[in-house]
Amino acid sequence: MTFEEIHKVYWPKVYRQCMGYMNDHDAAKDITQETFIKVWQHLPKFRNESSIGTWVFRIAANSCLRQISKDKKMPKSEFPNEIVEEILVNNEPLVEFLYKCISELPEVERIIISLELEELKQKEIAKIVGLTESNVRVKIHRIKEKLTKKFQKHDR
Amino acid sequence: MTDNIDFKRYWNKQKIETQTPEELIKKANEFKRKTRFKLIVGNIVLLISCIGISFIWFYYQPEFLTTKIGVIIIMTAILIYVAFQSTLMPLLSKRNLEASAKEQLLQLLQLKEKQRFQQTTLLNGYFFLLSLGFGFYMYEYAVRMTFIWAVLTYGIVFFTIALNTFYFRPKTIRKQQARLNKLIAQLKDLKEQLTD
Repeated sequence: MTFEEIHKVYWPKVYRQCMGYMNDHDAAKDITQETFIKVWQHLPKFRNESSIGTWVFRIAANSCLRQISKDKKMPKSEFPNEIVEEILVNNEPLVEFLYKCISELPEVERIIISLELEELKQKEIAKIVGLTESNVRVKIHRIKEKLTKKFQKHDR
Repeated sequence: MTDNIDFKRYWNKQKIETQTPEELIKKANEFKRKTRFKLIVGNIVLLISCIGISFIWFYYQPEFLTTKIGVIIIMTAILIYVAFQSTLMPLLSKRNLEASAKEQLLQLLQLKEKQRFQQTTLLNGYFFLLSLGFGFYMYEYAVRMTFIWAVLTYGIVFFTIALNTFYFRPKTIRKQQARLNKLIAQLKDLKEQLTD
């Protein structure tokens, strides 16, 4: 696969993963960009040990987790209210709500559920995060339960 | 709402902001250039300070051994500091992209713990050598001054050293430690989340 092809297929997937993690378009775009810069730099050395998709998602997951080691930009809560409303771009309310709920989960759960929603096999998710497959399965089940509860509460 | 919510449907509706591959490659190259530039600037600053100090040595031809010892100690202090800083940097950015999140996290955690120890030791050593170097270096010039001036000059130097040792050094160390401690705590929390 050439870089252009990888970019075309995986940019939206990685972007969604980062959105689930950060729930902020600017931050998501930054981390997605960071991920693809790494992909571009390391593609010639890529040894195809795992599929290219797993590799890209792994770089993205690690880029997300690494965010804590960087000095955070201004936290969202410090923006004046009017701007926050502008930032919430015309998505369906439930789409917004889903991403908000996911971004409120613990870091590792955010990554696991994002990968699950991108339809990665649980075996691959386990490889990316470094947990056992059975643990990942249990976690996905629990996360979905949590999200369902939040959605039901939201609906009422 | 039912128990069976189709999260995937909502998930895939997220608006995507894209960037063309060309833009991206341009950014990647810019990033590379900037990193290299930073490294070069750091080395130039070091080089200039060393040249400046050696210039004093050759131009004023100090007669006392103490002055030469002082110059050597100051240069050693600067060199050690910069050498350590620049060997730590690549370690921070070099990582195995094939490793899982858990493995990378553990590596980062180890590195940061090492860094926490090193920074303190290194900074203590740096301040100590720098003060010692200046003390030696000043001696020759102080001897040539009148008594009052010598006392005044040494007084100022000692005051500066004291200020460094008791104010700036602990303050810098505290700041670095606070930042690293916070990060290490966060990393440990992540590690906890990644325990089977």
